Parts: sequence; C-alpha cells; structure tokens
Amino acid sequence: MTIPHRDLDVRPILRDGGEPFSAIMEAVAELAPGQSLRLLASFKPIPLFQVLGARGFEPVSREIGGGDWEVVFTPAAAIAPVVETSDSVGHGVGDDWQVPVREIDCRDLDPPEPMVKTLEGVEALAAGETISALLPREPLFLFKELEARGHQWRGGFEPEGHYRIVIRAGSSGGK
Amino acid sequence: MIGSSLSRWTMAFFSGAVAFLIAAECLMVAGYGFPTMPAEAPETLLLVHTVTIGWLSLLMCGALLQFVPVLVAQPLRDETLVLPALLCLLAGLTSLLAGFLRLTGTLDSDIPFLLIGGCLLPIGFGLILWTLGRTLWQARPLPLPARFVAVGLTCLATTFLLGAFFAHILSGLISDAAMIDFRTRLLPVHAAAGFGGWLTFTAIGVSYRLLPMFMLAPEAERTTGRVVWWSGSIALLSIVMGAPVEFALGGSGRIAGVIAGLSAMAALVCYGVDLVFFYRNRRRRNIELNSKSAIGAFAALYLSAALLVGLLATGTLAIHAGALVYLVAFGWLTGLGLSQLYKIVPFLTWLECYGPVMGRKPTPRVQDLMVERRDEPLFVLYFIGVLGGTVALLADAPNLFRVTAATTLLATAAIVVELVLARRLFNVAAAVRFPKGTTPPHLFLPAIRNH
Repeated sequence: MTIPHRDLDVRPILRDGGEPFSAIMEAVAELAPGQSLRLLASFKPIPLFQVLGARGFEPVSREIGGGDWEVVFTPAAAIAPVVETSDSVGHGVGDDWQVPVREIDCRDLDPPEPMVKTLEGVEALAAGETISALLPREPLFLFKELEARGHQWRGGFEPEGHYRIVIRAGSSGGK
Repeated sequence: MIGSSLSRWTMAFFSGAVAFLIAAECLMVAGYGFPTMPAEAPETLLLVHTVTIGWLSLLMCGALLQFVPVLVAQPLRDETLVLPALLCLLAGLTSLLAGFLRLTGTLDSDIPFLLIGGCLLPIGFGLILWTLGRTLWQARPLPLPARFVAVGLTCLATTFLLGAFFAHILSGLISDAAMIDFRTRLLPVHAAAGFGGWLTFTAIGVSYRLLPMFMLAPEAERTTGRVVWWSGSIALLSIVMGAPVEFALGGSGRIAGVIAGLSAMAALVCYGVDLVFFYRNRRRRNIELNSKSAIGAFAALYLSAALLVGLLATGTLAIHAGALVYLVAFGWLTGLGLSQLYKIVPFLTWLECYGPVMGRKPTPRVQDLMVERRDEPLFVLYFIGVLGGTVALLADAPNLFRVTAATTLLATAAIVVELVLARRLFNVAAAVRFPKGTTPPHLFLPAIRNH
C-alpha cells in the first residue's frame, strides 16, 4: 500500500499576500519516508520544481481550473522503477528530462483509445517537452509507433498494476 | 511503426480459415459425410479435417501469431518462417483432403496424397511451433495466458504427430496388425489432444487476456485461473501420456479417462467462475457484440460438458459422440472464433489503416468499422442453427440436420461478408475513410508500406 498524500493548500497564504515557501518546506520536512506532498497553489510553482527536485522529489502538475494548480511532489525512490526505455534513450541522458507538461489518464479507456489519446498529447508537444500518461497495460503497439516517429519514452508498471509512461518529443517536436 | 507490431500473415491465415469453414458448412448442407454417412467413412474424415485443420487450426495459428508477442511483450522470433508454414499447411491440407477423396473412390490417382499431406502438415505446424515456441521460450517466466498457449502448442505437436502416423497407416505404408490396432486405440487421444488441448485450452488462455482487455475487467492473475491451468494440464497429460502408457500395459485407458474427466470438470468449473467474474466486474457497462456473442460460445462449452456427462451416465456416448463433437466444434470453438474475429479483424484493420496518422488527424473509431445492430441477429441465427443441429444429431435426423446446417451456413456467410466490408472500411463515411497519409489495407495480403 502506498502512503496517502500529505495535502497542503497554500492558496489562502498567497491570497493574503504571504510567502508560502516556509510552510511548504515545513510540510516537506514532516513527510514520512516515501510519502508525497500534494500542493494546491494559485499559479504553477515552477521555482519549487527546482528546489524540491534537488531534494529528490518529482513533480506532476495539472491545472485544476480558475487558474489554480495541483502539484504532487513524489519522492523519486517511491516512483515505480523505470524498467524500460526506448532504444534511443542513452544511459544517464534521462536525468535531464523536463517535467511533464501534463499527465493524461487513459486507464478507463478501451483499446485503442489509450494509444490515440497518448499520441494526440505527444503530437501537441514542442521538441524536448514531455508528457506523462497512465495506461491500463503495457503499450506494446505504442512503443513501436513512438520510436518510428522519433520520440523517446521511459515507462514502468505502477504498484496498482497500471503502466506509467513519460514521453519526450523528438527534435522536430510532435509535429 | 504500427505495421511492425502487426503480424504480416495473420489476415491470410484468417482468409484461408473462413474459406474452409464456408466449404465445410456447404458440405454439411449437401449431406456429405456424417451424419448422412457413417462417422468413420472417408467422407466424414474429409469433413472433419476441413473443419479442424482448415478452419480452426488456421484461425488459431493466425490469432496466435498476432497475440503471442502481445501476451509476452516480445517480438515474434523467426517471422520469415511464417509464410512457408502457411504454404505448407495449405498444400498439406489440400493433399490430405485429396487423399481422403481417393479413399472414397471419387478421385482416381496414383499420387500418394495422404502421405504427402502427412508430411507437409507436420512441417507446416512444426514451423509455427518453432516461431511461437521460441517466442515463448525467450519470455520465461510466462504470464498465465501464455502458459495456456504453451500447453496448447504441446498438444498441437501430439495431435499432428499422431495424425501423420495415421496417414501412414491409411496409405498402407504400415501394415503391421498391432500398429493398426494401436491406431484405433489412439484415435481418441488424437481427438482429445486436438479439440481439448490445442484448440480449447489455447482458446481459454487467449480469452484470459482478450476478455478483460475489451470489457475493461480486472486483469490480475487469480487463483481460479491457476487452478484451471493446473487441472486442465493434468487432464491433458493424463490423456496424452497416461492413456498410451495404460494401453501399452494392456489396460483399457479407463483410469486415464477418469482422471482426465474429473480434472477437466474441475478446470471447467473454475473457468466458469472466472468468466462470471470478468463479465460481472467489467468497467465497460455496454459490452460490444464480440463479448456478447462470445456468451453463446461459453454456453455451448458448458452445454457440451453437460452433454458429455449425460451421455456417459446413460452409456450412450458411443452412439452420440458425433453430436458432442459437433457441439464442441461449432457451438464452442467456431462460435468463439467468429465472435472474436468480429472484433479482431476491424481492430487490426483500423491499426493498419489509421496507425500512421493516429494523434495527428481525426480518424474514425474502431466501432465505426462495424454496424453491430445489423450483425447481432446473425450471431443469434448462428447459435440457433448449431443448437438445432445438435438436437437433430441426437435425434438421428440427418435431413433436419441439413436444414439447420443451412441456417448456420447462411449466418456464417453473412458474418464473413461483414468482415470483408470491415477490411474495405465500407461502413466508414467515404469523406473520412482515407485521411491523407493512410493507405487502404489489402484484403488479406500484408501491406507494403513506407513509413
């Protein structure tokens, strides 16, 4: 079983004109080993990505409407081990991947919709941008298609049984 | 590219398979072979092998060439052997059927057709076994559905080796009386390994993956699934190894038969539990026609088991074995085959045609390739025909059987027409049928595509 997220809503602090940084760092310090932090903010907290990234947290962000953002910072050790990569991903090269611009959830779609939705997401990326997708199973057909289109991917099974893939658009982007 | 994850010759196997199915159904309507003629007549042998090798085995080979790599997440090994395998199977089967025709006296020729068939078929199946076997071997430890396929392939080897042995006897090459007597005893082993092991056990294995995939049901391995595999494997081992050993020791094969029967029943009960679990726990509320019509096939499987028990209890198995074989071959295996083709053909066609532009341009949905409302009655008609045929056989009414066979032929032919229309993307509005960057798929030859 995974430990539930710790929730932190910094929107009230931001609304009052305050600086949420210390509250966030306090929350991070209080996380149990392997626990992730779910942060709600009124903007996409890009600077935090660097700060917490240096502490081994991987962010997944999504816009939740009204200009607000939800970011889940997960300790890297708790992320499913990357068991597979596309042939074009060299050793160590994967470390400089950008934070996914968005994560799409295709777990409840029947085939071939997960593949269609994922490729639509990839096609909208600029070169070097990444997208993350949750899939109901290992996407064997998708792997080949991504490589044929010049994109790189890393992926692995999540503890819940579904497959999480992160795709980086190739040099010409998704276009 | 999508093309490289699609099995190149699967559609060719499927096309050959449905051609043989239609041919076999025409023979039944014409009153050729059982039940108009005796069960052991060469005409019946011709009919049975048209169905088992021509239709069911080609269908299963085509499906496995596509699905085994998906089941084990490995590419197919030695794919270049697939076309020679298909050609050997087609030539071998044609030769075998010609050999049976020679036995009937219809064909007057000195060519040893049975012998040629008895050599070419093992070569063809052997090549298929090699590619699929190597693919499975590289992927150990195997997931549950692939373990079913592995046992099924072992039974395929048993079936065609025994078949080749029989072909040699029927050609007159082996005239030793003990061997001919052994043939009579091994005939049930040949049939059980073919129907029970190769066709049924493999189909069950593939269903463990396909059913949850298309109905969005939980896919995790369940204890009941493992029990199905273990008890089914014990049943098959008992038939394939136990019975011949018992014969050799002078026994009647009764012990092996009882062990096999009890284990097979345990397997069927647990499989039933899993089937109900998949249908009950699906996240997709409205199931598609392929999953709906498969229920008819599953019903036929359980009806077959009930019929077997009933015939054994009344001591009438020997008289009514034909009805049982017909229900298994047409209700369960053909019913499942047609219902899954109804999904697989549009799905592969969709991938082949729209794969290159997926995500770049709007494409039709897979569902747009078929008109389910129009085709649902065809499956109903098919299963009614099979049920009627089984009753006609039990009632020993050959003419009524021909009428019911005409019903199944009609339904089958209409379903095949729908599959051809799917390959042609006929049901997709012409304006959106071929967006720029797509190529129309060939009917059954692989596409030569520059990606």
